[in-house]
Order: sequence, then structure tokens, then C-alpha cells
Amino acid sequence: MLDNRRVADHPIRIIVKDDLERSRLTVFFRLLLAIPHLIALFLWSIGALVAGIVNWFATLIKGRSPKGLHDFLASYVRYATHVYAYVLLAASPFPGFGGERGYPIEVEIDPPELQSRWKTAFRILLGLPALVLATVLVGSWGGGGARMSEEDGQFAADLFSSVGVAWTIAFLAWFACLARGRMPRGFRDLLAYVLRYGAQAYGYLFLLTDRYPNSDPHDPPSREPVPEHPIRLRVEDDLRRSRLTVFFRLLLTFPHFLWLILWSLLSLVVAILNWVATLLTGRPPRVFHRFLSAFVRYEVHVLAYLLLVANPFPGFVGKSGSYPVDPELPPPEPQSRWRTAFRVLLAIPAFIVTSAIGTAAFVAAFLAWFAALATGRMPEGLRNVGAYYLRYTAQEQGYGVYLLTDRYPYSGPAEYEEPEEMEEPGEAPPLAARA
Amino acid sequence: MQLGRNGRLVFLGALLVVLAAAWAAAAVYLWESRVPGNLSPPDLDVHDEFTRGELARASRYERFLRIELLLSQVALLGVLGLYAWRGHRLMRESAAGRIGTGMLLGMLGLALVWLVQVPFWLLELWWQRRHGISRAEYPEAILGTWLGLGGEFLFICLAILVVMGLAGFLRDRWWAVGAPFFIGLALLFVFVYPYLLPNLGSLRDRELTAEARQLADEQGIEPIPVKVEEVRTFTTAPNAEAAGLGPSRRIVLWDTLLTGRFEQNEIRFVIAHELAHHSRNHLWKSVGWYALFAVPGAFLIALFTRRRGGLSRPEAVPVALFVLVALQLLAGPVQNAIGRHLEAEADWVALETTEDPDAARALFRRFATTTLSEPNPPLWSQLLLDTHPTLLDRIKLAEAWERENGE
Repeated sequence: MLDNRRVADHPIRIIVKDDLERSRLTVFFRLLLAIPHLIALFLWSIGALVAGIVNWFATLIKGRSPKGLHDFLASYVRYATHVYAYVLLAASPFPGFGGERGYPIEVEIDPPELQSRWKTAFRILLGLPALVLATVLVGSWGGGGARMSEEDGQFAADLFSSVGVAWTIAFLAWFACLARGRMPRGFRDLLAYVLRYGAQAYGYLFLLTDRYPNSDPHDPPSREPVPEHPIRLRVEDDLRRSRLTVFFRLLLTFPHFLWLILWSLLSLVVAILNWVATLLTGRPPRVFHRFLSAFVRYEVHVLAYLLLVANPFPGFVGKSGSYPVDPELPPPEPQSRWRTAFRVLLAIPAFIVTSAIGTAAFVAAFLAWFAALATGRMPEGLRNVGAYYLRYTAQEQGYGVYLLTDRYPYSGPAEYEEPEEMEEPGEAPPLAARA
Repeated sequence: MQLGRNGRLVFLGALLVVLAAAWAAAAVYLWESRVPGNLSPPDLDVHDEFTRGELARASRYERFLRIELLLSQVALLGVLGLYAWRGHRLMRESAAGRIGTGMLLGMLGLALVWLVQVPFWLLELWWQRRHGISRAEYPEAILGTWLGLGGEFLFICLAILVVMGLAGFLRDRWWAVGAPFFIGLALLFVFVYPYLLPNLGSLRDRELTAEARQLADEQGIEPIPVKVEEVRTFTTAPNAEAAGLGPSRRIVLWDTLLTGRFEQNEIRFVIAHELAHHSRNHLWKSVGWYALFAVPGAFLIALFTRRRGGLSRPEAVPVALFVLVALQLLAGPVQNAIGRHLEAEADWVALETTEDPDAARALFRRFATTTLSEPNPPLWSQLLLDTHPTLLDRIKLAEAWERENGE
């Protein structure tokens, strides 16, 4: 059901030709401008639902989706992606109403092919996990069930974790685009990933293909080089999982939770001292930096274990290079005093993004739990959703709380790189992947 | 001065004799009881005390549970035996260093035990529900044991941290420091236990509260708070316990005892019995007994784990788990005997305080119907499984007290 073939081979692909330029005027009124498209999409959806049911019977009988129905449903998926891309600010131009080709966030869908009748018969059941993940990634209109009675901060966190990754990013992007007239690349790439997964999930449900959606955020690699960041994640995991430790994973993490809580209390105190010292001297003191780096590393190790991103039980000291999923952290460097002074405020968008990606990562881990128990292996795509979250968390914590760097976290999915290319002389061991 | 080989053997032999004598002296001291040693309980016929129906129902109920318990113990030993043999292979699932890997292996051992025991718990629950003893739902019971397993994980991690930490520099002599540590931990646990009990409220019956004060006074101790634990949502069985040490001392009555099935004088006897556990220092004595078993137990674990390099090495942890459980099973009959001895003394003190053997007899007879305890189970079951005297023995003790005191 879940395979690890590259998304470039997938019959449903996203082509990004967006130049990141945004018109402030259309961004400001984006939701209102999209109203005609939202009405059209609603009407299309009714037709697509009927066509989808007819297509299911036809594919079950013939073993292949009829070309007319396939083209209609492909146009629907393409159009829905255009509309979402427009509303979510992943693309700038006002899209056409017929799902015409050539949009900056374009969907390519292969012509109909033979499909397994078994997979067709149970398609809704098989597609359920993908639908769950797509819902978490894309979200839904209205934003789910955040309760107004909650405290303000808690309410905001609940809201952003319930509206889905895409809407959270779009909300933040709206301010960024208005301020700069440009879409931050990390946001755009993250939205492109979300839209690609959504298109593949709905394409799978509508029988446009029997290839399962690929949840890997790092696949395909970005065409442009990803911005360098001093905090990176090294992933040396071989995807093998012990069924026994997977089954008891949550409970096995209990001692680490306890230790993490104790350590985090001390880290908070050190973080405050570190902030004062960095503000005064313009550079974090080495002793604080080392202590806080170990804490961030340990936090990532524990989360990697909990979220099934790695297999072995982690150590308790956050030792560098001791775990297959390990953040690479920079040495103490001079930092801007202005950025240091307002660091927590500046990091608020990053905290929100972490909360949104974290929800997706936890859902991915929940789904992966069943897969790993059944197969003894972690699906690579789901593993990489978790790795993406861990990399962003390390960057967010390193920037916003512990001042390990003053470089803002990069929110886009970073590409895979071959181990040989990443390896530097004298560095061991070879890296399987970096996120 | 250096001792030769023979000198060392003599020294070790003498040390062993001294330690054994100290152990025996401590055991004799702890065994001391208010129940007269020359007491000869009357020879009662179980059929005179209980109806044929009561006996048949209780016998049927308990027979099933006994078989289930024995099978579960066999399965437990089997799985831990296998784990002791092959468990070290799971070391590859850890990147946590020596102690962290030991923790993982300890937790996985308990996890396997949990997996093996789940069918037995479900079977037991089914049987208890069928007989109206339990009201717990299956998912609720599984979730409860699952969360309990989380607590066990935390405890075993602490235990392994201490043991492997000590073994790191004391090698095979870790037990000499480790055993006192665990005795201290047991003492701490007994002290804090009353604060860990959920759903605990105060006894609202003023008459019983006043009687509890009076009974405490008669037993020569300060008044002890009587608490009521809400359990009726998941069981119908009545129960009570004495908990805590010093300022944390409590008497805990299950609310199933206060539903009107028991007369006031029977509940009064229960309170007197639980107070006797405090007045006769049974909780301190229990910790004392634990200490007497913990020291040689820790020594034996250190001895049996030597072949795996001792407990400084994580691969010894599965063996240590197996040895620990095997020792507990072996010591079970002795510990049960100690438990029965303490319970008999609590009954005796309660009889002395309440001077109401009729209430005691009525209470024990009612237990046969409310808990489905078999009044006179087979001898092997008493020796291997029972932590309390049989209902018939308790009735005999009440009769004996009555006879001794000429009432």
C-alpha cells in the first residue's frame, strides 16, 4: 500500500513555476477575490462526487478508468489545486475556472492506466489514512473545533493546530506578503508540498491512479538550492523498526519525558541567563551554549524516538552523534543585539509554524505506528514528515528560545542530499540524508 | 595481616553464621505476636458454619481463579525465562549507553510480561463479572493496566539506574548498598501510599468515626483518620486496609463495605482489625520482613547475573528480572505465611478491643457470600496463594478467643 518510489515517478505531480512575487493589493483582498472560485469549486465538487462514484463502478468492471471520466476528475483535481494555491497564497495569478494548464502551481496527471480491482474495491478504506493526513495538512474551511473558552494563548495554539498546516502558513504568509510584496520561499514550498499531497490523495480516492500518495516532504528535491541554515538535521536511519519497541513506544518514552521535564526546567533558567549574557556581550557564553545545545539535541532525540523517526532507544545526555537522527548545531557566534532583545516576539510565527507541522508529524507517527507494527519498517515518507518537524523544531528552539543562532528557521521542506556530497573531510560517519 | 585461603574460608564461614544468626534473631523478633502460642482453636465443621450452596458457589468460583493464577505464573516464568535467554539481543534497539540500554531491557521485560498477562487478566475479569464481583469494563481494565505499566516503567528505570550505577563502581558487591537503598525506597512507598490513593473521602458516619477514636484509644494509639475509597463503580467486593506510617497513617474502607450489607458492629470489627495493624506496627514489620528478604535476594541476583558480566552490563538485566521473579515466587509461601500470621494477630487484637466475637463470626460468614472466598480451601492453595487465614480459621480464632475469655 505504501511504497517508497520517488514522487517524480508518481502519476500525479506538482510543477512549481512561481516566482514568489505577490501583488499586495490582491493579497490583501485574496479571500474576497476567491469567492467566485469557491462557489465554482463547490459546484464542481458535487459533479466530481457523482463522477467519482460512477468511475468507481466503471473501474471495478473494466479495470481501468474511462477516459472521459478520468479527464473530468483530473480537471477537477487540477482546478481545486489552483483555487487552493490561490487562496493560500502559494501562487499569485487569478486562476481560470476550467482547471486550464499553465498555472504557476500546476498539477500533472497521467492518462488512465490499468488498476488493480482489489485496490479499487477497497479504495475508500485504503485511502482513509491518506485522507486523514491530507485533512491535517490542508485543513478545512472554518478551522475545526477550537474552543473559545480557552485561555487566549491556548486558544491560538489549538486554533492553528486544528486548521491544518496550509491555513496556518497562509495566515502568516498574508502578513509577510503584505509587508514585503514577496512570498517567503519556505512558506511557498511547504504549501506546494501540502497541495501536492492533497492532489495525490484526492486523485487516489477518485481512482485517477492506484499509486498511494507520497507523504515525503523532501521529495522531489527543490530545483533551487535550499538556503543554508546553521542548524541542520542528520538522518542516518535505515527505516527498520523493532515491532516490540514500536508497540510500546509511548510507554517506553515515559522515563525520557520525566527527564526532559526536569532538564527543561533547568534549561529555562539557563536560557534566561543566556539571553541576558548575549544581550550584554553580543555572543552566547560558551558554557551556556554547550548546555543548551545538549538540551536541544536531547529533545530532538526523544521526539525522534516518540514519533518513530528513529528506531533505537536514545541516551539521556543529548550527546552529539549518539543517535541516528541528530541535529547539527553551530558553535557560539556573534548575534545581533536587536534581534536578541526581541527574540521571543520575533519567534512567535515560528512557534505557530512548529505547532502546525507538529500536528501533522504526530498524525503521521500515529499512522506509521500501524504500518511499522505490520511490516517492521517505517514508511519513508511518514518518517520524513517527522524528520521535517524535528529539523524545524531544532531551528525554532535554537532561534527563539535558546539563542543557539540568530538565523530564522527555514519553514520549507529541505531537499534530500546524497551522503557523499554532505560529507566533509574528517567528518564521520557518512550521512544517509539531511533534512 | 594477610589471611591464607583456609583462613579466608573460615572467616567467610564465620561471617555467614553471624549473618544467619542475625537474620534469625530479626525474624524471631518480627514474628512475635499477641496471639497466645498455646492457643488450641476448636475443631469446627465447615458445613456447620456455611450452607451447602455457599460452599459450592465459593468453591467453584475460587477453583477457576486458582487454576488461572497458576497458569499465569507458569506463563510468566516461561516468558521471563525466554527473555533471560534471548533478551540481550534487544540491545541493538538502543543507542542509550550502558545504563540507558539496561533501562530499555528492563522496560521491555515488563512489557513482555504485560503482553503475556493480558489474556489472564481478561479471563479473570470475565469470571469476576460473571459472578457479580467486578463491574469493570474490559477496555477500562486494559487501559488501567496499560497506564500501570507506564508507572512500572518509571520504577524499573529508577531501580536500574541505581543498581547499574552502583554496579559500575562496586561491581558484584552492588547489593550491599543497593539492598538498603531499596529498603529505604519501600519505606518511602509505604509512607506516601495513602496520598497516592485516588477517590478518597472522609468517613461521614459520625457514630463509626467516634467508635474508631475509641478503638484507637483502647489499642493505645492516637486516633487515626478513617477514609472511604470509592470503588463501587468497578467492584462489589468489600475490603479495607491499613496504610501509611507515622503522620500518613490511615484506615481505608472501601465504600462497598458501607452499602448496608454489613451490620454496624461488623464494620466496627473491621475498623478495629485495621487499627490493630497500626497499633501492632504491622506496616513497620512488613518493611522489616521485606528487608530480611531484600538483602539475600539482592545478593542472589548479583550472584546469578555474574555469567552475563554482572549488573554493570545491560545484557544481565533480563537475567536479573527472571531471577527476581523466580525468587519472589519461591519466597511467596513464606511471605504468605507471614501475612497470615499478621492478619491473625490483627483479628486477635480486634477481638480484644471490641470484645465482640459474634460480630467477627458474622463478618467472616458474610465474606463467603460477598467476596466468594472459599471458607476452607485446599491446603496447597493456603500455603501457596493465601495472604489471609481462611474464613474458617478466622471463625475458629473468634471461638478460641471467646473460650479463652470465658464469654
